[in-house]
Amino acid sequence: MYSFTYTRAKSLAEARAMLAKDHDAKLLSGGMTLIPTLKQRLASPSQLIDISRLAELRGIADKGDCVEIGAATRHVETSRSDVVRQKIPALAHLASQIGDPQVRNRGTMGGSVANNDPVADYPAAVLGLGAIVKTSQREIAADNFFKGMFETALEAGEIVTGFSYPVPKRAAYAKFPHPVSGYAMAGSFVADTGAGIRVAIVGAGPGVFRWKEAEAALSKSFSVAALKGLAMPSAGLSNDLHATAEYRANLVEVMTRRAVASLTGEK
Amino acid sequence: MSTEFKGRREDRRLITGTGRYTADWNQPGQLYAVFLRSDRAHARILSVDTAAASAIPGVHAIMTGDDADIAAMKNPPSNVTWEGRGGMKMNQPDRPVMARGKVLYVGEPVAMVVAQSAHAAQDAAEAIVVDYEDLPAVIDLEEALAPGAPQLHQSVPGNLPFDYEWGDPARVAEIFSAAAHVVRLKHVDQRLVGNPMEPKAFLAVYDATRDIYDVWSSTQGMTMMKGSLAATTGVPPQKIRVHAQDVGGGFGIRSNAYPEYCAVFAAARRTGKPVKWVATRAECFVSDWHGRDFVMSGEMAFDRDGRILAARYDWIAAMGAYCSPTGANVHTLTPATTSVGTYAMAAVHGRIRCALTNTTSVTAYRGAGRPDIAYMVERLVDEAALQLGIDPIELRRKNFISKDAFPYTTPNKVTYDSGDYAGMLEDVIKVSDWSGFEKRRSESKARGKLRGIGLAVFVEPSGGGRGTDPNQAMIKFGSSGNIELFSIAGPTGQGHETVFPEIVGRELGIDPSLITARIGDPDGPPLTGLGTIGSRSMIHHGSASMLAAREVIRKGMDHAARELEVAAQDVEYAQGNYRIKGTDRAISLVNLAKKLGGVAGVHPLDAGAGMAHTSAFPGGAHVAEVEIDPATGVTEVLKYYAVDDCGNIVNHTLLEGQMHGGIMQGAGQVFGEHGMYDKESGQLLTGSFMDYFMPKAGLLRDIYLGDHPMPSPTNPLGVKGAGEAGTTGALPTLMNAILNALRPAGVTHLDMPATPSRVWEALRKAR
Ligand SMILES: Cc1cc2nc3c(=O)[nH]c(=O)nc-3n(C[C@H](O)[C@H](O)[C@H](O)COP(=O)(O)OP(=O)(O)OC[C@H]3O[C@@H](n4cnc5c(N)ncnc54)[C@H](O)[C@@H]3O)c2cc1C
Repeated sequence: MYSFTYTRAKSLAEARAMLAKDHDAKLLSGGMTLIPTLKQRLASPSQLIDISRLAELRGIADKGDCVEIGAATRHVETSRSDVVRQKIPALAHLASQIGDPQVRNRGTMGGSVANNDPVADYPAAVLGLGAIVKTSQREIAADNFFKGMFETALEAGEIVTGFSYPVPKRAAYAKFPHPVSGYAMAGSFVADTGAGIRVAIVGAGPGVFRWKEAEAALSKSFSVAALKGLAMPSAGLSNDLHATAEYRANLVEVMTRRAVASLTGEK
Repeated sequence: MSTEFKGRREDRRLITGTGRYTADWNQPGQLYAVFLRSDRAHARILSVDTAAASAIPGVHAIMTGDDADIAAMKNPPSNVTWEGRGGMKMNQPDRPVMARGKVLYVGEPVAMVVAQSAHAAQDAAEAIVVDYEDLPAVIDLEEALAPGAPQLHQSVPGNLPFDYEWGDPARVAEIFSAAAHVVRLKHVDQRLVGNPMEPKAFLAVYDATRDIYDVWSSTQGMTMMKGSLAATTGVPPQKIRVHAQDVGGGFGIRSNAYPEYCAVFAAARRTGKPVKWVATRAECFVSDWHGRDFVMSGEMAFDRDGRILAARYDWIAAMGAYCSPTGANVHTLTPATTSVGTYAMAAVHGRIRCALTNTTSVTAYRGAGRPDIAYMVERLVDEAALQLGIDPIELRRKNFISKDAFPYTTPNKVTYDSGDYAGMLEDVIKVSDWSGFEKRRSESKARGKLRGIGLAVFVEPSGGGRGTDPNQAMIKFGSSGNIELFSIAGPTGQGHETVFPEIVGRELGIDPSLITARIGDPDGPPLTGLGTIGSRSMIHHGSASMLAAREVIRKGMDHAARELEVAAQDVEYAQGNYRIKGTDRAISLVNLAKKLGGVAGVHPLDAGAGMAHTSAFPGGAHVAEVEIDPATGVTEVLKYYAVDDCGNIVNHTLLEGQMHGGIMQGAGQVFGEHGMYDKESGQLLTGSFMDYFMPKAGLLRDIYLGDHPMPSPTNPLGVKGAGEAGTTGALPTLMNAILNALRPAGVTHLDMPATPSRVWEALRKAR
């Protein structure tokens, strides 16, 4: 680690002001991504502004046709919340699949989504459900938020404050955990929403994306059978020492089928 | 004979977080060392500029390979003292403690900074500027030995430091040319990173007034640590005191002094202050010596009836950029030792070429040549069963060395002490319901899954250590009758603190809780022997403890006779008491010890014993049943059955711990571990736990252990090694099961690791 100063922000406004003043400052939420980076001296922020305890960023609220979740809500809270489990069980299930108990007890939804790691799980739910990302200055629709590997629509000094998830008719997330890291090697979030069928894929490519062909097929008939013969092209998917792009394409197909099957009861 | 398990003495501190590992020790005024390492695989060092680094506040010293104290250090000699092919002598390249003139692998130490704080040392290490000129690197084993390959050391032509050959080439060639069937296989046995939970660390204190060095380090044995430090630094071993209370895993890679330890040692003398170094996990990945890494070809010749006539091997073993002290030994002689496996055959011939590549050194790692040869032999036998159309059980039964042939001398002149391979096989096929497998296979098939069953019967050497001093243990009495057992075994989780007193207690007929084990105590008597390597502690240190107890009883006879006022020949010892034969007049050992008192730390009953080096041959018959999901390539191990012969069993629970851990470590290699280098850049691609697979508990959920003990006549306990057997069995057993599952889908070949993606790709290619 390099030296830095640490401040626990007292309010969102204070955090904003500090960020605006110091371009080398960094927000600290759960620290599960940031701290390992610091320890390896891969980042050298001048200061860390801890927003993980801000009341404004915490909590889960049932708003009828949507569920609102604060950015500093920890994975374990999302996975165990009665509201989330009743309204969007797929999201609670997704949160319960992240990392290990230590990570789930510290990592936060805001930190994960702001980081936009292509192999992280939450982006699948945000895009799959067509959620709204709320920030310190605006609201951003999921379709406009993710910009590829570790890139988002967030501007310098902008803080994610929370998420609004429309409650779907039904939704499911199927994840194939990376055998080494446990992150998603491929994850498919399938949602039957008021605005139609959405299928969001994480893990396999350079960033979360919607599988439009699968959405079209499932719109015609929401069934595993409808996906038959539908191939995920491997071009553009990740190809590395752990798996070929072809294998990842296959996993996308398998995970999507399994997500659908878990909703329709098909084999 | 096994004692009831009442918990391990060491567990209270280990599971309450009060164990003390190397990094937990500190000395007042200590300085901190940090190493700057090579970030390239092969390069000339043009210059090392330390000016800016030296100016950083808190920096006390910066040393490089050219520093006089470091340059004066010597590479310990290889322990390969025998000749290789055509009389070739081991040609070990000289390893500097830190790079001199050239770097030869990513991670090689180039400079060491010693500073007031670890932070300042790290800042300074970053401020050192090294100017390199890149040289062509070679990573691939076959390429390294090919003509025209980049040469790593001028003194080692062809990158071939040792070419080992064993057996009878002419006889084997003759048999092969006349054989009815020959089965051939080529496998890659991938490189592994050992990853003990405790990162390596070293704390050195030099007391100039006494000219004594106190060092703390995680080690598998204080004498090995002391000996290798002495050999490198030139400081006599009696001036080095090694401390190691708790050691968080060894597996072979914590035996000798690493180059960094020697540099820290020199820094403590240079600065006159204690110097501490704790490696980061990332450093451990590139600088802990690695394991395995072979390219192995093997063939077996059969007659018309499926009798094995001979076997022949042609392997290349990775050494890394320099040879570790034992790499060439355990990767040539050890696999050769059991190269006929459990089978009676007329002849064997093998050759293993050791190759230098621009990678981290390779050394003994759990199994150290044993799993490798067992894998080759048992894969060949399974392949033969398939090609010859003979049932794999039948084929093995037909060829086993029979139970009454022991001691059995193999065609390559190795003597197996005892064994019952056919008996173990019968046990394991029974408990695993081998004959009911086809039904289970079709049940899986109905669910769209590929089920497989696999078997391996193996034998391996344990103990060994020929040519070194006997392994000694000593029992000392306190004036209150308390008993201390001194041993120099180097436990890394085996439970020696619990089991050695049990052995002594049983022999003396007294409650083991009266006996305290002091293992690796620098203030203890100067005992000789090796540490905990090669599945040998129970054979050597356990037996030495037992012999020391017998010596105590013998020494006490005359004293007891005097106390009882009879002649010594009228006294007998049983259950903790010296008794006048045929009477109930007796004195207990504990009371006798109290009465005798002793002076100035010496007690008349103190007794030591040594156990000469000897080998025992444990073996096992393992079966695994797996189920593969063809959609994802995921393999699930449904059940693992291990029937083992570890000789007499001293403590069953501790034995189970060794077997479970060993099997799991084998499963780690089978399912994912892979120390993978980029062939162009020589960077270690799997240099963190984000990329390097580690086996987790869920991988093997159901392990059955069965005992088939055949006591070893080579040691008084009648035991055989247990530390590596699980790993040795797991490689061939699991891979035979996986291939058995994949065969109906057309897959005929697969190398480890059988990751989901590699299994899926194999299925796709076979489609
Ligand atoms: C061992 C391990 C396993 C893991 N496994 C998984 C897994 O299986 N699936 C998965 O999805 N993730 C996994 N993770 C990542 C984990 O979910 C992290 O918690 C998450 O990626 C980051 O959240 P955080 O709250 O810890 O963010 P931090 O580490 O605190 O911050 C991450 C980045 O986001 C920025 N940031 C934080 N909060 C905000 C905000 N509100 N607005 C704007 N920017 C912000 C920070 O400045 C920083 O750059 C794993 C992590 C570890 C260590």
